[in-house]
Amino acid sequence: MLCRPNRFTWYLLGWALLSALLALVEALLRRGELVPGGLRGVVALLPVLPMVGYFLALTRWVRSLDEMQRLIQFEALLIQFAVTALSVMGYGVLAETGAVPNPPVGNLWPWLWLLLFLNWSLGQVIVRRRYR
Amino acid sequence: MTNRLRVLRAERAWSQADLAQRLSVSRQTVNAIETGKYDPSLPLAFAIAELFGQPIEAIFGTNGGPHA
Repeated sequence: MLCRPNRFTWYLLGWALLSALLALVEALLRRGELVPGGLRGVVALLPVLPMVGYFLALTRWVRSLDEMQRLIQFEALLIQFAVTALSVMGYGVLAETGAVPNPPVGNLWPWLWLLLFLNWSLGQVIVRRRYR
Repeated sequence: MTNRLRVLRAERAWSQADLAQRLSVSRQTVNAIETGKYDPSLPLAFAIAELFGQPIEAIFGTNGGPHA
């Protein structure tokens, strides 16, 4: 295995699952109109909180890697940053012209996460080939 | 850069995983150093030299430079 799972890997999974669970709960509460108006914003932000833990765990995971693995992650994240930024920018300007659907931002954030993780994986595949 | 890591490892009958464990790095990192695809940092090069009980220049060199 290229990067052996360690305790930080499990922290990452745990925080991501907690966030997904809270997003599901929040969506169900919203659909059932079970949250008083004044608390809707607070409840809506609940899935964001575990992602703070996720990124702290991600930082500690990267620090737990050896020097070459850290370099691979750095270059993979650069590819992720570039591809995601260009994709979002490209889609945004096309949406402004009406060439593609222009959904509200509230409907787009799950797709942004998917794009981020797919592009991170793409980056790793590209960079790891160099050191194989 | 060139290095004698594969030879030194073979002399001790260590696998890449054995060496990786001794150096606290991944097996992929050992493989990348052996194949010349990754040049280790100075601290890692010192750790390798210390592990094999040889000076750095006896393990690592450039084409035409020490160890070659």
